[in-house]
Amino acid sequence: MVSPTIESVVLKDQIKRNDEPEHPLGNGGDQIIEAYSEEDISNVLAHANEHGKTVTVMSGGTKRGYGGTMKQADILLSLKGFQGIVAHSVGDLTLTVRPGTTLKAISDKLAENGQCLALDPSWPELATIGGVIAANESGPKRLLYGSARDHVIGTRIVYPDGRVIRTGGKVVKNVAGYDMNKLFIGAMGTLGVISEITLKLRPLPKYEGLSLVHFPDGREQEIHHVAKRLMDSMMEPVSLEVLTPATAEKLTGQRNYTLAIAWEDQEKAVTQQENWVAANLPAGIRHTCLHEQDAREWWDQLRHLGPNGYNDDVNEANTQAALKIGSKPSDVPSILTMAEEFAESHHVSVMAHGGAGHGISRVYVNGFPDDIIAYTKTLRSEVEKKHGYAVCTHLPFALREPANVWGEKPGYFSLLEGIKQTNDPKKILNRHRFVGGI
Amino acid sequence: MSDVVKCLNKLEIPYIARGAGTGLSGGATPLGGEVIISLVRMKRLLDLDLENRQAVVEPGFINLKLTQTISGKGYYYAPDPSSQNACTIGGNVAENSGGAHCLKYGVTTNHILGLEVVLSNGEIVEIGEHGVPDQPGYDLLGLLTGSEGTLGIVTKITVNLLKNPEGKKTVLAYFDDIDDASQAVSDIIAAGIIPAALEMMDDIAIEGVEAAAYPVGHPRDIAAFLLIEVDGIAAGIDDQIDDILTVCKKSHVREVKVAKDEAERSLWWANRKMGFGAMGAISPDYLVQDGVIPRTRLPEVLARINDISRKYDLRIANIFHAGDGNLHPLILFDASVPGESERASKAGSECLQVCADVGGSITGEHGVGIEKSAEMRFIFSDEEMAAQTDIRHVFNPDDLLNPGKLFPEPGRCVEVKHGEKKATV
Repeated sequence: MVSPTIESVVLKDQIKRNDEPEHPLGNGGDQIIEAYSEEDISNVLAHANEHGKTVTVMSGGTKRGYGGTMKQADILLSLKGFQGIVAHSVGDLTLTVRPGTTLKAISDKLAENGQCLALDPSWPELATIGGVIAANESGPKRLLYGSARDHVIGTRIVYPDGRVIRTGGKVVKNVAGYDMNKLFIGAMGTLGVISEITLKLRPLPKYEGLSLVHFPDGREQEIHHVAKRLMDSMMEPVSLEVLTPATAEKLTGQRNYTLAIAWEDQEKAVTQQENWVAANLPAGIRHTCLHEQDAREWWDQLRHLGPNGYNDDVNEANTQAALKIGSKPSDVPSILTMAEEFAESHHVSVMAHGGAGHGISRVYVNGFPDDIIAYTKTLRSEVEKKHGYAVCTHLPFALREPANVWGEKPGYFSLLEGIKQTNDPKKILNRHRFVGGI
Repeated sequence: MSDVVKCLNKLEIPYIARGAGTGLSGGATPLGGEVIISLVRMKRLLDLDLENRQAVVEPGFINLKLTQTISGKGYYYAPDPSSQNACTIGGNVAENSGGAHCLKYGVTTNHILGLEVVLSNGEIVEIGEHGVPDQPGYDLLGLLTGSEGTLGIVTKITVNLLKNPEGKKTVLAYFDDIDDASQAVSDIIAAGIIPAALEMMDDIAIEGVEAAAYPVGHPRDIAAFLLIEVDGIAAGIDDQIDDILTVCKKSHVREVKVAKDEAERSLWWANRKMGFGAMGAISPDYLVQDGVIPRTRLPEVLARINDISRKYDLRIANIFHAGDGNLHPLILFDASVPGESERASKAGSECLQVCADVGGSITGEHGVGIEKSAEMRFIFSDEEMAAQTDIRHVFNPDDLLNPGKLFPEPGRCVEVKHGEKKATV
């Protein structure tokens, strides 16, 4: 039922009937409201807050399977239609953009001026900047360019009571007051709704190269040494991504552990670094090089591997899950090896890759629900022994509680609760979506 | 630390954690009755893990000493505030310090992987354990870094280390017109180059550094110079330098040269890093400001700072990290002349107003402290400051940790009102 009050705050055609109340990924809403402005967001939240209604926030929907143990909120606030570039200051290398804008739309626009946003998470044509920031999504190239927290310089946030609060600013260096930007990056929309984001840009690389190093069966323990040697050199890899054999087969046609090293620099510098790799590989280890468009296409394929919120299979035997594993960078090769080994013993199929220079690995799991849960638990417990963590970035709704999406609460959980309580005392925003049920 | 904090808490005595005391905004200055907890003796290097490019230090560890400790192995710690031979990494975390090279490599917050923190109730928590990135939960590392000692006391810091660049070249470019220098800054960035550093000094600043300890012999009749450093893979450096020289020539540079060796490069940098202190050679007193602007607004802002200089009849030297738009107007005055200190302070505040007017910030790296708390109003509304003090309340409910800093006094009235409003909901 559509309450008269909500109709008084947004136009009638912005309120939609929920035609799929049983969405397998949950995170839905009894009413779906399309926001087209910051004012819409503010009005909807203020209304919800006043009437104690819960609100789920979504834009591209690629992270619908990421956290959340409430099947349906009262309102699903969609930011998909709240898109577009507000300002691109070419000379300042800054961009102000609305949350519903896809990463691809941003890249296409920036490329016209030879610039880019140096973030490479998955599904760029579907994922929106609001979602990427809220979920702190990143890709292999964070090794050199950093993650969302290194690119966001300002936001506008709509608080649950409808207040609009600016954080940071529009300049690339700023220490005035607390760095409030950071609170909302990776907060999964539990502290406020991001209504505008200002980002630091980079010039597009002058030249791109990709060295693919192939490790024959039985020599995967050498990945660690090659990565270590490279990290101890003066070379400047943009990525140092280790691919498991199944992943490599899909991308290169060769079923071997593979190290994907990206280079983005002046052409001469790229060539010099590729030559360094060739000169420093152990005997019997082959490598291939891709350049420019070929390299870009290769990375584009890698960005289209996992679940995206729309590609889940109806067949239970093909249930999909995705894990984000954080560890010390030096533990990435061994964690990926474990991810492979446990797949066999748990009857699931797995594709995985991870950054041997930055410590974030992605594991995409396919199989029966019970096997996925058992696999997740086994892998998590091994990762935790190495002081790492495992978070489920995609799971069907029914599996989230048994899999314990975020793992155990950190020792300082009371601080997280305190922050949530401060910003959203009635807990209307993305309730139970985050760590420890926040 | 935990015991001291618990004791102070029990007695309801306010306290301030303090490192080397090099801060430029008065963040570690007591306003009355605070206990100062000095961290300078907590100065051990606790762990060095070069394979993962990490080091764990205590807060009193001196910034430059970290780089010196690991330079033999080819590594360094990137944030390089001008006071780096004295300032502590704990203080850098509190202030989210920058430096000349943060244009390419970022400020302190981009290099902090983990913190051990003593909370205001004496509890010890570890955030970012073992330096593992993106740990589940709100980004407390990001929130604590730059919180100016108002959210907790940091007792252990895990930092990210970088490998020395293979190649490095430094360019010095002299301009007759400051607008041409500003244009060159924008054009270098537009050419797709991100220099490791891109610094500018105007004529009064040059007068100062040439009268101080490390004179370079800069021509005295130029309007400004740019100090530009490019680093990275050796094979790619020369092309970038060529591009920079072309840009400078297009902007009517009078003279442009590349440092011929490390000795010349070091002298240029020593001259630049002396910048603030050098003002002592040409003025009895000076006041440093720290505004940030979108770099494309540089010519307009410089003209307005010039107007302020005339209005208050005080000379203003300008030293800035031009690449990231971080200006340091240095207001020269004589405190022994009645009224001049007040005029200098007003002129400084007006410079920050100009930065705010063009969409910038009142501080890029020095922090708010006591000095700029009133100017917070230039960029934040009362409601926005209340959103920040509400977060402070989570960490520091009794406001015993470094009280009276960062936020303007009346802002706190707003906070109380806001709290009352919430209480009645």
